[in-house]
Amino acid sequence: MDTLEKLAVLADAAKYDVSCASSGVNKKNKGGIGNSKAYGICHTWSQDGRCISLLKILLTNYCIYNCSYCVNRNQNDIQRAHLTPKEVADLTIQFYRRNYIEGLFLSSAVEHNPNHTMENILHTLQILRNNYHFYGYIHVKVIPGTDPALIHKIGLLADRMSVNIEQPSEQSLRLLAPQKRLQAILTPMQQINTEILINSEERRKYRRVRKFVPAGQSTQMIIGASKDSDFTILKATETLYKQFALKRVYFSAYIPINDGPNLPALTTAPPLLREHRLYQADWLLRFYKFQAEEILSPKYPNLDIEFDPKISWALRNIHLFPLEINKASYEELLRIPGVGLISAHRILSQRRIAPVSYEHLGKMGVVLKRAKYFLTCQGRYYGEIPSEPSLIRQRLAPAPQATQLTLF
Amino acid sequence: MDYLYDGSFEGVLTAIYYNYYEEKAEGIYHKDRYQFSLATNSKFLKSDPQLAAKVYTAVEQKISNEALRQIYYVYLSNHPNKENLILRYLELAFKLGAKINSYYTHPAVLPVLKTAKQVSFEAHRFFGLLRFAEARNCLYAALEPDNNIIILLADHFADRLAKENFIIHDKRRNIAVVYNRKEWFLADLPKDVKIDFTDDEAFYQQLWQSYFQHIGIDSRKNTKLQTQFVPHRYRKNLVEFNY
Repeated sequence: MDTLEKLAVLADAAKYDVSCASSGVNKKNKGGIGNSKAYGICHTWSQDGRCISLLKILLTNYCIYNCSYCVNRNQNDIQRAHLTPKEVADLTIQFYRRNYIEGLFLSSAVEHNPNHTMENILHTLQILRNNYHFYGYIHVKVIPGTDPALIHKIGLLADRMSVNIEQPSEQSLRLLAPQKRLQAILTPMQQINTEILINSEERRKYRRVRKFVPAGQSTQMIIGASKDSDFTILKATETLYKQFALKRVYFSAYIPINDGPNLPALTTAPPLLREHRLYQADWLLRFYKFQAEEILSPKYPNLDIEFDPKISWALRNIHLFPLEINKASYEELLRIPGVGLISAHRILSQRRIAPVSYEHLGKMGVVLKRAKYFLTCQGRYYGEIPSEPSLIRQRLAPAPQATQLTLF
Repeated sequence: MDYLYDGSFEGVLTAIYYNYYEEKAEGIYHKDRYQFSLATNSKFLKSDPQLAAKVYTAVEQKISNEALRQIYYVYLSNHPNKENLILRYLELAFKLGAKINSYYTHPAVLPVLKTAKQVSFEAHRFFGLLRFAEARNCLYAALEPDNNIIILLADHFADRLAKENFIIHDKRRNIAVVYNRKEWFLADLPKDVKIDFTDDEAFYQQLWQSYFQHIGIDSRKNTKLQTQFVPHRYRKNLVEFNY
């Protein structure tokens, strides 16, 4: 098989990994090639609208595991390929020079055992960092069951590491990936988190300590392959943020590729809107200071598909509204549907100098279509209808799909 | 009085100086784009580095570094009335000082901040969307941006590709950033310049095109979203969209 074919096979095998972020770390080029920006840079967007920032590729898709949801499980009759560490490193440099990519996202299926695979990954990173003096971004997927000493070595060369949690609950994991154990997934996550903490402490004291996973760790879980509720997913997400200080938890709408007794039918469409709503809820957790239990509860276990989670929350808590835009605190402003981080900031900044009028809000980037039912401006309410959940719901509901009328 | 300038940033700043120390400016216009009329007087100002430097430091010290960056970005934009946006903004800013940008919605402030943001956004986009190809003795990239942004790309790529020679060619304005492994400079470069690419180049382009095809997930296809991120006008110079 030539490089062109191998690249095609191994890109196909890697594409269901969600993360492609190149953010979280500022690095200068110290006499080699490459640097890295904390805000991250996207280089292009594929036909599914997802950003391509890193060369996302598997070292191999030969796998001893048989996880039922995975395209690379060993019972599948698909094309298999290997790339050597040198081949991956050369490809990365050649793509990087041409500014196709921001760096490498290296993962792999498990051909013999986790340590064997991770040693190959380590070797790739050593070529890139030590031989080619590459200062671009590297994200490495950690395979559960890898020796901690090996993880430590890789962590000193990579910018970000991630261990896939795969499923939001232990039962689902047992059902869909019987060879994997939750404990085995959480162990490396814990190790990476501890080492990052120790490393940042050491770096505060001594100048010449090498950075360990400076861009932090992330994880991903599959949505819709199991029967877990959104509440379970969001609680798991919150726990991951709190316990392991993750930078991101990615969700990936399950795309039926395999047939199996515990899986949704092959004809099921991927739950893209559900995934979108979960990401919105994830944003509320990370940037808007929400708790998972405010967004969902055992009583409301699933996110509303028609409305975004902030509106759903506001409608359930209508007694808190409307808020006066010229008096509300930053935290309160963030709770108003249609007000984002930047517009809240602009409101505060102008308020110090002059009162904010309703006309100003639109210019500041507030989405008035949603916000007007939840705020007053200099004492006046602009919602036109009473601030009543059922009425607001009616106004904000998505327009019904237009259908062609039949003649007869 | 309408002041006409030569198209340089120094020229704009010189006109700002005249606005305060000579006759007040009705407007500032590019000398090649000015429509003469009988109603207003006009005068061409030769760029004066010393006067420009005075205005430059005044903006830095009496307003803020942030404001200096904003007006420079506006100057790089393709806004048809950019000189006057800068003039009105600075007139207000010299009165209000550093807190000028808190007047976000003020008619003299909002268009400046918006235009500056468009420019910095486009520059950020091209950190990603620029494509180099390997020529015989350098890396060569062509682009046709809406705003005059190549100068904002130069430092980024000079750090990143420190050991390469490269050319970043704005084909719309016939100018280029040229980097020679030590420093970069701006140069004129005609649109139809002939570049001699290496034999390997086609192979890596093919690899990238194939990778680009395979990394997309068919059952999530969403070309509308893709178009939002990569507008059609940029695709002409992107390897992965030309196969």
